[in-house]
Amino acid sequence: MGSSLTAAICLEDFASQVAERHNRPEIEAGESPELLLNNMTISRNDNEKVFIEPSVNSIRVSIKIKQADDIEEILVHKFTRFLTGRAENFFILRRVPIKGYDISFLITNFHTEQMLKHKLVDFIIEFMEDVDREISEIKLFLNARARFVAEAYLTPFD
Amino acid sequence: MLQLQPNNLLIHTTLTERLDPAAVPLAIDRIVTDYDFTTYHISNLENKSQILVSMSIKCFPDLRKYGVDGVMAREYGAYVTTPEAGYDVSLLLDLETTSALSDAVRAELVEKVSYFKRNAMAAAFERAFERFDVLSQESVAKQVDLYAPENTSDEEILVLNYRDDEQIFIRPSFDRVTVIFSTIFKDETDKIFGKVFLQEFVDARKRAVQNAPQVLYSHKEPPLELSRLGVKQEENKGFITFVLFPRHLAPTRRENCITHIQFFRNYFHYHIKCSKAYMHSRMRFRVSEFLKVLNRAKPENLEVERKTATGRRFEH
Repeated sequence: MGSSLTAAICLEDFASQVAERHNRPEIEAGESPELLLNNMTISRNDNEKVFIEPSVNSIRVSIKIKQADDIEEILVHKFTRFLTGRAENFFILRRVPIKGYDISFLITNFHTEQMLKHKLVDFIIEFMEDVDREISEIKLFLNARARFVAEAYLTPFD
Repeated sequence: MLQLQPNNLLIHTTLTERLDPAAVPLAIDRIVTDYDFTTYHISNLENKSQILVSMSIKCFPDLRKYGVDGVMAREYGAYVTTPEAGYDVSLLLDLETTSALSDAVRAELVEKVSYFKRNAMAAAFERAFERFDVLSQESVAKQVDLYAPENTSDEEILVLNYRDDEQIFIRPSFDRVTVIFSTIFKDETDKIFGKVFLQEFVDARKRAVQNAPQVLYSHKEPPLELSRLGVKQEENKGFITFVLFPRHLAPTRRENCITHIQFFRNYFHYHIKCSKAYMHSRMRFRVSEFLKVLNRAKPENLEVERKTATGRRFEH
């Protein structure tokens, strides 16, 4: 995962060849097929996978987070909404995830010029690990709290 | 704060202050709110020494059917007065008579008034529990076989419309009293959190508190007990059934049981909101952690302009 990302984030400044004086992430514009590179999916199973779409000056990384039941589903939904709502602080976060995934990052050459590449890779990897951990922790906490609350309510009847 | 207080703190403090014999009578006009759209109004009647405490409860018409007036008269006796316009029930406290009471009696009175809503709601439960007494005695007299299928389907079910679209149903029977709450979940998160919580309520009995009432819940589909009432199935609506056994209805426990069960909905939703709040604060924290990691990716700005001590720049 780390090495594929490092390989994919080899980006250069590339002015749009369709419209003059434009410079846009080619992966988003999708107007010049020759500038796009091969897509790649890295997956653990159907519910957990990463989709990398590289191009000459930008790369899109989409993550599908594990969702085993409807509690996790709602937690993931809430969490990704939290993140996308703060997308401007995150620079590389895409406001809308691509279809079939929970969250997408869009890294352009401007980002790699400003930031260190290996740190960006670290960030994405750390992000994936932390999200999973955070979701399962919240879920465990919720169950524990529910149990405690239920017992506290029912005990005084006795 | 794990348990919700069944009395109203604001009423309690206000009245403690006002009824203190040392306090100078002051003009008072306060509106106090409580759970389930209950509103209290504390005001002066004719002069500053007469305090009128009025309450409006959403389900008062239902409560009246189940004898709330009797309960009010029993609990508050001579203090009950004609209801203020726009409210359902009023109490009149006269500072001149209350100041003659001993401190302990006065404190007890204030305590009682702060349980105003609880006592009003208790009317329906008391009615059902009395009916349970009658039925259980009848069954003993008739020697009903405990395992025979129930034949009490014509027994009246008490209904309290305590909120818009949400009800409490109480159904007395000879060996139990069934209390059913219907409640609405406002959004998807509430619904799923509610499910988790209710599952734990159901399981708690198996695990830790064996003597607790039995809890059942169904999502969308109303329980069979309510089929006669024509309760409609609705999206977002859940039904929670508590089965109170005779041990919960023993006279020594009865008051406690009433107090406790009528706050179920408030307690339940309160804890759902609490967990949501916790979840949000946790996510907020996590997001800021991520931001820190991301900012580490930015190279630190080493290119600070260097100057000599006299303030001249280096020329390249």
